[in-house]
Order: sequence, then structure tokens, then C-alpha cells
Amino acid sequence: MNRRLHDLGGADGYGLVPHDPDEPAFHEHWERRVFGLLAPSLAGTAPGEFRHALERLSPVDYFDQGYYGRWLAGFELLLIEHGVLSSNEVDDRMPAGQDAGPVGRAAQAVGPDAAELPIDRPVLAAARRGVRRVLADPPIFRVGDSVTVAAPRTPGHTRVPQYIVEKQGVVAAIHPAEVLPDSTAHGLGERPQWVLAIAFEASELWGEDAEPGVTIHVDVYENYLIAIHSEPEQD
Amino acid sequence: MSDHDDHHDDHHDDHHDDHHRENHDPRSPKLRAEALEDLLVEKGLLDRAKVDATIEKFETDVGPMIGAKLVARAWTDDDFRDQLIADADATIAAAGITGPEIEHLEVKANEPGVHNVVVCTLCSCYPWAVLGLPPNWFKSPEYRSRVVKEPRRVLSEMGLELDDDTLVRVWDSSSETRFLVLPERPSGTEGLSLEELAALVSRDSMIGVAKAYTP
Repeated sequence: MNRRLHDLGGADGYGLVPHDPDEPAFHEHWERRVFGLLAPSLAGTAPGEFRHALERLSPVDYFDQGYYGRWLAGFELLLIEHGVLSSNEVDDRMPAGQDAGPVGRAAQAVGPDAAELPIDRPVLAAARRGVRRVLADPPIFRVGDSVTVAAPRTPGHTRVPQYIVEKQGVVAAIHPAEVLPDSTAHGLGERPQWVLAIAFEASELWGEDAEPGVTIHVDVYENYLIAIHSEPEQD
Repeated sequence: MSDHDDHHDDHHDDHHDDHHRENHDPRSPKLRAEALEDLLVEKGLLDRAKVDATIEKFETDVGPMIGAKLVARAWTDDDFRDQLIADADATIAAAGITGPEIEHLEVKANEPGVHNVVVCTLCSCYPWAVLGLPPNWFKSPEYRSRVVKEPRRVLSEMGLELDDDTLVRVWDSSSETRFLVLPERPSGTEGLSLEELAALVSRDSMIGVAKAYTP
């Protein structure tokens, strides 16, 4: 699987962090408006749906105008895909003769094959809160278990960053169960999963480039974890 | 740049890339944002007063001062600190803190020999209800790509030197769990009030790219 543009963990080629300890939340007035427009609307989207819209933007729309620039582009994309706006309505209000909107540059939404997702299962409905679910079954894994991370087969939204695929780690903590964004982003049902914090030693992820004394923790939905059984030593 | 337009709100800032577009540029996010907002209002789908109220809330009521008060309280009350680390959700709910982007919060305490730092490599996930909206640097590709691979170097570049024998724990917010770092209490702060302590707790120290200020 190729790394996608938003999947930045461990990507080479980036320099100094543009750090400003006193940076304000907004730099430009339009950023403020985009936040105010969108923040309430996100509650009306399925978990992961907006994230997937951002992930389908062209690099120019994802990176060039920062976070609120990509929010604006992703929001326009979803409004058009949901039929709230027609594809040229925003363009028509822009300086004449232009067809410059992000939609023409974005990738189509392509969801996973539902058969490759974990099965849906019952939850205790009374315990629902946001994306959290209380599952009747306990997690398969326990704190301290060694695991590897499976590569998602989905071409769509996933919360498995590429840098941990097929890497070995140890279960460090168990978080509450959540709906599976890889499924909900594509309208394929909740398929809730336990979420486990997996601790990876830096040397496992980065080999000789690793810094000493560093552990990286990544939250992984349980369906992507594979048990490592200790085998007798063999030559 | 091919034009000499009459925009007046375009001031240059070398750290930021949002200033270089001209106002007639068809890709101008300012013009697109205005066009989109106008369209939604005309269609009866949007109430500008609600947009204003959302902005107002996040510019005035929600911010890192909420997390800073939690940290100051944890520094002065061991039971509260233990509860915050063991069950942040119940502890902050009991403190009256609710809001977006904290469906499940975990507090990671720095201590001698252990330093925690938080990132979201896939997106820009951040505990809004306790820290407010994230700064741009947290959402930058530079931070998202590098802090999982070379955290010591990145922290050093950002002004935080860690001893070689201090373990670094990086937390990548890849699920809906959000993380808040509980920085170490600086020395020389024994007689300070909660308000004075909270003033030492920077946003950066709760992300884990700085220590709390020393008075």
C-alpha cells in the first residue's frame, strides 16, 4: 500500500516545525469564519466521513492554505457530494471564467469491500456516548500481549498509520470501544471495536535511524491486531 | 505575483503560508469562504449568528486555561492528581468540563526520567475542550511527520533539551482518545496560589513540547 498524503508519520523531507508558543487559534479572519461554519456541521457527518473528504483532496488543497484551508475544501466537497450544492455553485461566485474549486481536483470516495471489514456486533445501547460503545464481549488482547499490526485492505478511510503496519508492539492500555471509522466513513455500519494503545519501540519502527529511549504509542482498533504466539526457539 | 490589487489585509509573515494569495485569485480561501457562507445563508441552511457564537465561544471561553487549571490542581492535590491519571473522563466531568473532542481523555504525567509528547500524524486531533483549538504548528506536516521518528531532535529544536537518560513516550492520537500531558511542577513554587500556578502552565507544556514555566 502506498503512503497517502495525509499519512505523515515518519515521512522524510520535512524541516523545522514552524513553532510559535504564543500562536493564536486563527491567523486570518476567513479561518475564523470557516471554523464557525463547519464546527457545528461536523456533528451531522458520520464518524470519519469528513476526515476521508480531507484525505481525498489534492495536495494543493490539503497543504497550501493550512488546516482551515483544507477544512473549507473538504466541506465544499461534502456539500456537493451530498447534493446540498451543485458542483459549480461556489465557482460561479468566484472571479469570472474560473473552474478552480477543490472538487475537480479531489479523488472519488472509494470505500472498502464490506466483506473485508469485521462483522457488526451488538452494543449495550444505553451506554452509547458519541462514538463510544460498550461491547458485551471483552477485548481479545490483554495489557502486555505482543501483537503485530495488519495492513488495512481498505482503499478508503483508515486509522492505521502506515508506519506501524506489520510492526510489532505491546498492548500498553485498553481504551473504551468505538465505532470503526474505517466502516462508518463509508456508510457501512458501526462495527465497533475495542481500541488498544500499542507501544512500539522506536528501533522496531525506524531501525538504525531510531533515537534511543523512545517509545511510540499508537491507538489501534482491535480488528487490525494479530497475536504473536511465542514459539519454541528454532535454528 | 502578476497584479497590484487593492487588498489591504494582506500582511506578510514568514512563518505562515496563508498570506500570499491575492484577493482575486480563484483559489483565494477568503473569497471561497465568503462565497460558501453566502450561499448557505441564501439557501436558508445557515444562521450567521450561530457561526458568530461558535467563534466567540472558542476565542473566549475555551482554551488552554482550562487544562492549566486542572494541572495546577493536580500539582497541589495528590488525590485529584491520582484520579486525573486513573480516570480523566470522570474527573473532568466532575470538575464541570464538557465539550467537543474529549470523548475519552487520558492524562499522561511527566516525571523525573519520563517525558510525554502528543501528536496526531494522520490528522490534527487535539483535546479542544481542555486546550482550545490547536495551534498551526501542531497541525503542520513538519511536526506530524517528525515527532514520531526523531522526538528528541524535534523537541530540542523547539527549545526543550531532555537528558539522554530521560525516556520519551510519544502518543499518536489515531483513535478518538485524546491526550493531555501533565507537566512536572517547577521547583520554587511551594507558596503559590492555584491561579499563580496555572499561569505557569503553557499550552506547549500540556502538549509536551515544553516544560512548565519556572517563576
